[in-house]
Amino acid sequence: MKSALRKLGPAASTVLSLGALLVLWEILARLAQIDGFPPATEALVQVPLILGERESLASIGASLWRMFLGGALALCFAVPVGLAMGRNKRIAQALNPVLTAAYPIPKAALMPIIMLWFGVGDLSKVLVIFLGVSLPLIYHSFHGAHAVDEKLLWSAMAMGMKPVARLFKVVLPSALPDVLLGCRVGLAMALIVMISSEMIARQSGAGDLLFNALDMALYGDVYAMIVILAAIGFVLDWVFERVRRRLVHWAESRQDAMVPGGGV
Amino acid sequence: MSEPMIAIQGLTKRFSTADGRKHLAIDDVNVEVAEGEFVSILGPSGCGKSTLLYMVGGFVAPSAGAITVQGRPVTGPGPDRGPVFQEFALFPWKTVLENVMYGLRQQGVSKAEAEARARALLDMVHLKDFADFYPKELSGGMRQRVAIARTLAYQPQILLMDEPFGALDAHTRTVLQNELLGIWERDRKTVLFVTHGVDEAVFLSDRVVVMTRAPGRIKKVVEIDLPRPRVRAELLVNRRYQEYIVELEQLIEDVHLEAAGA
Ligand SMILES: Nc1ncnc2c1ncn2[C@@H]1O[C@H](COP(=O)(O)OP(=O)(O)O)[C@@H](O)[C@H]1O
Ligand SMILES: [Mg+2]
Repeated sequence: MKSALRKLGPAASTVLSLGALLVLWEILARLAQIDGFPPATEALVQVPLILGERESLASIGASLWRMFLGGALALCFAVPVGLAMGRNKRIAQALNPVLTAAYPIPKAALMPIIMLWFGVGDLSKVLVIFLGVSLPLIYHSFHGAHAVDEKLLWSAMAMGMKPVARLFKVVLPSALPDVLLGCRVGLAMALIVMISSEMIARQSGAGDLLFNALDMALYGDVYAMIVILAAIGFVLDWVFERVRRRLVHWAESRQDAMVPGGGV
Repeated sequence: MSEPMIAIQGLTKRFSTADGRKHLAIDDVNVEVAEGEFVSILGPSGCGKSTLLYMVGGFVAPSAGAITVQGRPVTGPGPDRGPVFQEFALFPWKTVLENVMYGLRQQGVSKAEAEARARALLDMVHLKDFADFYPKELSGGMRQRVAIARTLAYQPQILLMDEPFGALDAHTRTVLQNELLGIWERDRKTVLFVTHGVDEAVFLSDRVVVMTRAPGRIKKVVEIDLPRPRVRAELLVNRRYQEYIVELEQLIEDVHLEAAGA
């Protein structure tokens, strides 16, 4: 009985704090009486309407697909680059200044330039998501590979393990907790960049839905879209966190607490 | 006498410090270790014991001098020399059993045979019931038992042990010293054992090499002529054992005084 309650603990507190947020929103909106700030109830009724429409579902699906593509590309590119930097001083010295300079640049701000080269279509958006996800992923992979315990490598060497095998069998698993931390930051980043890219290149996608509603002063729809995006972020993070725990259950727990993504 | 198992000649190691100067860590060390001999390197912390061991392991390159193992010059790590580190260095993503099997699998031993041999070793180090645990679920003493089993598994001719019991509490350390001695007295591998503990060195070794600090040089080599199998309780009342302890304590004290005077 008691353990069942305790098991419910985190889920219950999540529901509770979200509920409190909604109540607060409702009260503030009713008090404020501003057009651009509809009460929670008015926004929430729009959610099933939006999700019931084939077109908006397709739009959101297209956004998520681009996000997935950008993220997958970043994974294939950023993890090897980060690991290489972590294991090789020269590579690190060459790339570190580039990283440091690129990190604080809002990736969505590059969107207009990228659009000049690749047009307003999917390619530009996927590219800008790729950029946004790559940086935190490189950074965390670099950190993880750099911190690999030398004695683990030595132990493997003494067993006769060759350099390439050591990269996959020692460096990669050692760095995995950090790589996955980078993935989680990257996930938040991907969502942010996804929306901002669609805000700039208005053509399709969840961001386009949101800003169209804004243009037409459909504030209920605007807030409903924000709620939908928040829910998507929440679900993706929850799923990812379960996967992450599964993959690195063996790791000594450090500060497992999470940092949200840095700049946009 | 036949060719020594390990021959160290004129071994020297310089490190460049952060401010660009050269730090002489090891200076002209000469040691020979016979096959089946248990030799300890004894010295205060920072005198270069680990560095010396890492060079024999082939993990760190010497600045000058030569190391040969069975007559062949050391150019890098190899499965003939199995390291055991103070920090255990187990693969945390592998279970206890997988850790012990790892070296064997690496050398192409079939999975079934590797597992059988690993289980036998785990039995020997009293961890039979922990085969499926992950390192993080074990105490320090258990982790070091796994690390020793992992190294013994691929049957190196030489064990290179760097203060393997240094991170353990006094009781666990004593237990593991006894176990190590038991294992060693059965199969008589060549052991190079680094420690800063005088009792540990005398209890385990055939010979103790005492080192000075900054630079690390050999101060004296003390032959430990005590009967085997050694039993701690008997040794504690053994006159010769006590004399070795006093002699080595004195040497270590001199090393400290010299370092302070310099
Ligand atoms: N990689 C390194 N770079 C620079 N100095 C080192 C390095 N490794 C060891 N030293 C220095 O060499 C000396 C001996 O170190 P070490 O072999 O670890 O001693 P011990 O194992 O006896 O405590 C110390 O002064 C240490 O600071
Ligand atoms: Mg040391």
